[in-house]
Amino acid sequence: MRHFRTLLAHELRSAALSWNTWAAAGLFLALMGGIHFFALVDAARAPAPRSPVDSTLWFFWLPLLCVLPLLTMRTFAEERRSGTLAALLTTPASPAAVVWAKFLAVWIVWALFWLAFAAFPFLAAQRLDGANARALGEASALWGGLCFIAVSGLLHVAVGILCSCVTRSAALAALLAFISLLALTAAGGALETLPIESWEWLGWLREPAAHLRTFGHLQDFTDGVLDARPLVLYGTGTLLCLGLAVLTVEGQE
Amino acid sequence: MNEAAPLPEAAVVAERLTKRYGSLTAVEDLSFSVAPGEIVGFLGPNGAGKSTTMRILAGTMSGTSGRASIWGVSVALDPAGAKRHLAYMPENNPLPEDLRVEEYLTLRARLKDVAPDRVAERVRRVMEDCDLTRRASGRLIGQLSKGFRQRVGIADALLAEPRVVILDEPTIGLDPHQILGIRELIRSLRGKMAVLISSHILHEVEQVCDKVVIINRGRLVAQGRTEDLRRELLPEAAFTVVTRADEATLLAACRAAEPAAAVVAAASADGWNTFRVTLPVGSPARETLAGALIGAGLALREIAEERFGLEDIFLAATRRAPGEGRRS
Repeated sequence: MRHFRTLLAHELRSAALSWNTWAAAGLFLALMGGIHFFALVDAARAPAPRSPVDSTLWFFWLPLLCVLPLLTMRTFAEERRSGTLAALLTTPASPAAVVWAKFLAVWIVWALFWLAFAAFPFLAAQRLDGANARALGEASALWGGLCFIAVSGLLHVAVGILCSCVTRSAALAALLAFISLLALTAAGGALETLPIESWEWLGWLREPAAHLRTFGHLQDFTDGVLDARPLVLYGTGTLLCLGLAVLTVEGQE
Repeated sequence: MNEAAPLPEAAVVAERLTKRYGSLTAVEDLSFSVAPGEIVGFLGPNGAGKSTTMRILAGTMSGTSGRASIWGVSVALDPAGAKRHLAYMPENNPLPEDLRVEEYLTLRARLKDVAPDRVAERVRRVMEDCDLTRRASGRLIGQLSKGFRQRVGIADALLAEPRVVILDEPTIGLDPHQILGIRELIRSLRGKMAVLISSHILHEVEQVCDKVVIINRGRLVAQGRTEDLRRELLPEAAFTVVTRADEATLLAACRAAEPAAAVVAAASADGWNTFRVTLPVGSPARETLAGALIGAGLALREIAEERFGLEDIFLAATRRAPGEGRRS
């Protein structure tokens, strides 16, 4: 456990000093700031079924696909390429400690990005009077959405870490993470649009499709609906990905 | 040093180690040991399996079969336990470019279980020992010269005062001054740590090591003290003789002293001829050759016995078939 804490502190420090993190933060805030700005403009023009905060959160997939791979791509791929991972594994620190430290560091950075985004709706609310500020959306929806990001982020970051473990190229790791996260995010919606009911042989897909509704999970969180199934899905998915990542690191020769 | 514990017979044991990559056998049936406090040179041509063996011993690679142990702890069964006694510097000495030397060594000390209240002291000590304090401590590793990077690697290896240090080509790419410094540093470890060191600079190994292990094509071809290997692999005595006599006259004079003597012409200049005279091992003529040649009336300018170095031993060992005539 001592090694895990040492490694986590090192990873967080490295992330704070890395240009890569700051570039990703800039891209993230520019993306989310832009989306939120246009959501506010739309809301000012005409009444919309969703509040600006809801509309902005609905675009969570954009930074997920464009920014998160930038954070995870170098975690293992770069260390494998330079050989520093092998040097790290000559110490008594276990591969599991290394994987969990890198995972948690990226997850914390990802969560901090989203906390920084939360400043936008608050700043907008401060500039408006009471009634208009209420039209921006409930604060609970924002916090619910951020909880969804935090919970689903566990799996998303774990997928990115696993992708970085399987290659020595950071660019390839980013591409793999992009494809995997796209598949994970779109899978539920894609499966739901298939005419599964009419295809008997595809009937077994009905259950997984019901579980993989990423946008449905977001809706539940922003509405304040607490459902254990997404928690189990993201939790077990995270453990599976990190377990595979540990095996991959252990098996690297 | 680590906690007091009874000394094992061997600090490093490789027992019938084998590593296969598909149909390619990188290391086969390799057995050797390193005693506590001993410095052992690990030699072999390129591709002989040195780095593979070292990586198996360091626990960064698993062997296909066989047993490896560090300070009595099995590398396969208790990798974390074995790593507590071991420091390993890989061949290309990979270091993070974006850390300062002191930060890097502090991190490594923590990962190597150095007691928290001793981390700063150990980092300062190894930086002094490796001459890093003055010119490198506050610099980014990415800005360091090759020589300083090697020093950082060795400082890292010595941080936790391990029982066993494995250094894969620690002097590669260094200039003669730097090599001298590293050599002195390694020499200072004698008696304190068991050191297994691979190098292509055989002169360095001969200067520093108590014993050598030579492998070829993944198999052990020789191991032992340099003197013992010299007697085993190069049994003949050889002399350089510079004389005005021709080859036939010299051969006749040598054969009078030792019937099995052989003469090979080497060079000729200004009427002086240089020959190489070889005598079988244990020949009494080894002591009396000079007298015999003078007694035969030969005009002699020089007669000198050749000293076979580790290079000759290495060449002789790697020429013979793997597995033939191993020493233990």
